[in-house]
Amino acid sequence: MEINPMEIILKYLPLLIPIALLQFGLMIAALVDVIRREKTKGPKWVWIIVVVFINLFGPIVYFIFGRDE
Amino acid sequence: MNSVKIEDLRKKYGNVNALDGLNIQVDSGSVFGFLGPNGAGKTTTLRILAGLAQADSGSIFFGSENTSKSGTDQKARLGYLPEEPAFYGWMSPREYLDYVGKIFKLEAKERQLRVDQLLEKSGLKEAAKRRIAGFSRGMRQRLGIAQALMNHPSLLLLDEPVSALDPAGRKEVLEMIEGLSSECTVIMSSHILADVERVCDTVGIINKGKLITQAKKQDLLDRYAIPALEITTSNGSASLMPEWKLRLEKLPAITGVTVEGYRFHLAVKDVHTSQQEVMQDALHHNVTFEKLEVVKPSLEDIFMQLTGSLK
Amino acid sequence: MNFITAFNKEFLEQRRTRKFLIALVVLVLFGMTSPLMAKMTPQIMTMVPGGEAFVGMIPEPTINDAVAQYIKNIIQFGVLLALVFTMGSITIEKDKGTAAMILSKPMPRGSFLLAKFTSLALTFIIAVVIAGVAAYYYTYFLFGQMNILNWITLNGLIVLYILVYIAITLLYSTLTRTQYVAIGLSFGTLIFLGILGSLPGFGINLPDALISNASLLMSGYPVTNWTGLWVSLGIIVVSITTAWLVFRKQEL
Ligand SMILES: Nc1ncnc2c1ncn2[C@@H]1O[C@H](COP(=O)(O)OP(=O)(O)OP(=O)(O)O)[C@@H](O)[C@H]1O
Ligand SMILES: [Mg+2]
Repeated sequence: MEINPMEIILKYLPLLIPIALLQFGLMIAALVDVIRREKTKGPKWVWIIVVVFINLFGPIVYFIFGRDE
Repeated sequence: MNSVKIEDLRKKYGNVNALDGLNIQVDSGSVFGFLGPNGAGKTTTLRILAGLAQADSGSIFFGSENTSKSGTDQKARLGYLPEEPAFYGWMSPREYLDYVGKIFKLEAKERQLRVDQLLEKSGLKEAAKRRIAGFSRGMRQRLGIAQALMNHPSLLLLDEPVSALDPAGRKEVLEMIEGLSSECTVIMSSHILADVERVCDTVGIINKGKLITQAKKQDLLDRYAIPALEITTSNGSASLMPEWKLRLEKLPAITGVTVEGYRFHLAVKDVHTSQQEVMQDALHHNVTFEKLEVVKPSLEDIFMQLTGSLK
Repeated sequence: MNFITAFNKEFLEQRRTRKFLIALVVLVLFGMTSPLMAKMTPQIMTMVPGGEAFVGMIPEPTINDAVAQYIKNIIQFGVLLALVFTMGSITIEKDKGTAAMILSKPMPRGSFLLAKFTSLALTFIIAVVIAGVAAYYYTYFLFGQMNILNWITLNGLIVLYILVYIAITLLYSTLTRTQYVAIGLSFGTLIFLGILGSLPGFGINLPDALISNASLLMSGYPVTNWTGLWVSLGIIVVSITTAWLVFRKQEL
């Protein structure tokens, strides 16, 4: 039985797209929040990296711990 | 309107007696200045009046009602500004005031009118839509005063209402408090005695949780009319002042010396003798001054004398 | 009604501070990925180097695997977020002085407290409902039909389980001075109940039984013992009542 990764991804694409979109949306929301906020806990650029490069958990950790009210 | 009577109020924090048998009577419609050194128990008293802390013993009467019976009723007529007002940073001043208006059950239309009015009055109209999180201490103080007035309170408790404000803001707020005296009873704590002297008609001085004295401001000024002298030194004699101060302190008729810029403020036992002593001393040591005058005592002098901050 | 006023403020706060968004996105994402992962894991395993040996050895995943993944993920992340969102709800307001400003006005302390609980509850109810719908569709496409009534019951039990921990954390947030102590105590309780539940025959009386009952239901077995459900409701009521009794007397 020959299975190649592309085939699997293509097969499940309609199910994968909403997931990717949600994650991307959350990332954008967090990114906009970081950039517009005057002050964050810890340096801003670190949060930008965290939000953009750490899938799903980056934005969540930022929203919970990164914002300085 | 609302008179307030506090009887034998006691409150202990650990082994600190924050309030130690406090008795105060605030007449309906008066503006009561609440004075006392740091830690005297002013904030504690106001927090108990606002229902945020409970006294260990003693009683409080609003009008003729004992507070223990009428919690929420009383709160609906109360305005309270804490020492450090705190807000939800994610709200705007408009939203916060609207929320407060809802708590007081104002109808939508009336509420909006009142919110606009208070934003205008507190000078926050421009900042009405900004997030409170970015506000300066003074702006928060203004919002704090605005929220305390939302329900047209019949009793207004203000804990150091002007301490964070700029001179213009301070003047505005004081004028506003003066104007309120026809509508409600105000109890206001402050460290700025000149302000209290200006707006309050009754003054209560407390120390270590006990009332030292309470009286109409004018009575107090008359009763404790300790005479005082003021010397304005000549320009350029600044270098001589410290030495001169030491000598003045030793004069028998003088009980206290404070320095303000080029001026000496002397608390004295007797105007006549002290005047002579000062002039003799000046002659002796060859110092000159521009002016020597007898001044009326200020609340500050009385406060210093009564709370034992003077020698 | 003062409760409604306070509730509206709390729910607005959760939307403004993005708590609502986070709960929604995280749970919905796990709702989608859980059945997908259940389906794909065997296929992925055969792709890793040396994995070819497994071909044919791993049983074909079933609906039950998808449901188990869903329950595990939603409970884990739902409870985690619930603790984080609830831990500071009272401590921060007391510490900053915002509670004193509001509670010197005619806002009863009970309404203040209850508004916190119900608004957090609503956030997680909405998040679990949407996650449940998403998971249902994904499971349907990947595996096939599920019993809708059982699926709804399952999600209801998950919500109830999360509410138990919101109520407990709210109580700790009232009792303690800092939010980190509050969340520490909540984790302690979580672990303690976990240990209690592992005692033979006792687990059925605890909130964890909600979860085991839920998976039983989904795999088609009848559930006869609902003690855990009543105990969970009891914990919620007792926690909130205790929090109220304590909060009523607290100095602000
Ligand atoms: N929550 C508390 N816990 C412990 N001690 C307290 C508390 N609140 C007040 N105290 C103590 O009670 C005493 C009176 O404090 P209070 O804040 O009423 O003074 P105050 O007159 O308002 O002083 P200030 O002019 O500095 O504002 C102080 O000794 C203070 O340390
Ligand atoms: Mg004080």
